[in-house]
Amino acid sequence: MSKPQNSTVKVRRFSKAFVWAHAVNAISFFALYITALPMYTEFFDWLYPVLGGPEGARLLHRIFAVTFVLPTFIWVIFDFKGFKLWLKELVTWKKRDLQFFTEFVKELFGFNFKHVRQTFFNAGEKINSIIQIFTAILIIGSGVPMWFSEYFPKAVVQWGYLLHNVGFGLAIAVIVGHIYLSVVHKNSRPGYSGVVTGEVPAWWAKEHYADWYDEEVKKGNFPKLDDPTHTKKKKKKKGA
Amino acid sequence: MATEYVKFVDVTKCDGCRACMVACKNWNDLPAEPQDFLGSAQSHAKTTADTWNVLQYIEHENSKGNLDYLFRHSACFHCTDAACEKVCPENAISYTDFGTVVIDHEKCVGCGYCVNNCPFEVISLKEYVDKNGDKYRKANKCTMCTDRLEEGLQPACVTTCHTGAMEFGDKAAMIKKAEERVKQIKDRYPNAMVYNPQGVGGTHTVYVLAEKPSVYGLPENPKVPTSAVIWKDYAQPIGKMMIGATTMAVVGAFITNTIISKKKNGKNEDGGDSHE
Repeated sequence: MSKPQNSTVKVRRFSKAFVWAHAVNAISFFALYITALPMYTEFFDWLYPVLGGPEGARLLHRIFAVTFVLPTFIWVIFDFKGFKLWLKELVTWKKRDLQFFTEFVKELFGFNFKHVRQTFFNAGEKINSIIQIFTAILIIGSGVPMWFSEYFPKAVVQWGYLLHNVGFGLAIAVIVGHIYLSVVHKNSRPGYSGVVTGEVPAWWAKEHYADWYDEEVKKGNFPKLDDPTHTKKKKKKKGA
Repeated sequence: MATEYVKFVDVTKCDGCRACMVACKNWNDLPAEPQDFLGSAQSHAKTTADTWNVLQYIEHENSKGNLDYLFRHSACFHCTDAACEKVCPENAISYTDFGTVVIDHEKCVGCGYCVNNCPFEVISLKEYVDKNGDKYRKANKCTMCTDRLEEGLQPACVTTCHTGAMEFGDKAAMIKKAEERVKQIKDRYPNAMVYNPQGVGGTHTVYVLAEKPSVYGLPENPKVPTSAVIWKDYAQPIGKMMIGATTMAVVGAFITNTIISKKKNGKNEDGGDSHE
């Protein structure tokens, strides 16, 4: 596949703090998922011996429960600016965000689509963030009374079981899509290395987050990509 | 299905001898749990993992301003619609043909969901230590001596009761007996009632209580917690469906992407795709 020459140019998309916060979040989430899976469905009861019996699974679940709470703090403490931008983007919704979804469905299934100009986070990422915030609150908020049930009224613990279940169900359903897009789907795959290294190819950033990219160019942070090598790309865009 | 049996406890015939507690410990091989004096003749505050039935002693001022010394043999109710059975994530709790509710220790993982959802608070976790010194927990409660029932015997507590306050027999017959008994004692105990709560589908331990349930610390209208019903009947099945749906969506996306990019590759020698 032919790539523009400047495809090797990388730009920084995520701070080190975000990269760490995201990694801690992802690892904790999956560790929590695996250690609770045999309780969610008996189909996975064979995991108990692997995890050191129900007691081992319970201990691991509590250790990762603590690490699951950390990412927000990591991000807030070490990159407050990035965290603030995230929150601001989450409450900013414009027409372009709705347009994004119609194009996204086409992109998801591999049909022809056009890029809708997006800011730092696209509408899909914003929806993902909002659902993850909501489910994290549900999961953590209900997990505390489940863990320390002796200190809470019975009704709180009982509703906690339900909310933990709902929060988890929603979170995992969204995460299946989130992981697919980052690891498997060809158009968004650079986002995966981006969240690991913090850097993404400049051409990809410009294509997917045009408004953000242009803003950074204006600030003098990112290189301009409007050179002849890029025009070649533009021509092809329609057929993509 | 075998005949449904019910343990009928007429608290007005109980003399508080506690033989039922001893018989239970004896038959089920449960260790003694020495307790400090709790302020009354009652030995333990409530049932525990090693004390499956506790005799309650309640000093109650009745409507005439007189003292009633009320006794109640308390143990698992063996609900027809048992919250513990509903919330158990390992299907370790099940109904027997006798209508009793039992815990399978092979399957129990000691999560305590049953403990926190039982409307009567009769289930407890017990901590055990294995050969390697590792601790593990299992839920414990009265089994209604299901192992005895299987051998054609009656529960140990019933067999030992010397005042006839407890009887074990056919469900309909026992309930009828309870209703008749309430009529007999209405003069002495105007609040007397049959306690066979329908919120949990009726129970397999049916009481004649001398006073309102709350006097005995029992819920007036016990039921399977609403949260447990939503959790197990709706949230969990829907959650599993959603995981399935998103997984199908991404599998579908993967397939259509592969097909479409193959088609494009066929048409366009250079790949023709601007996206990497």
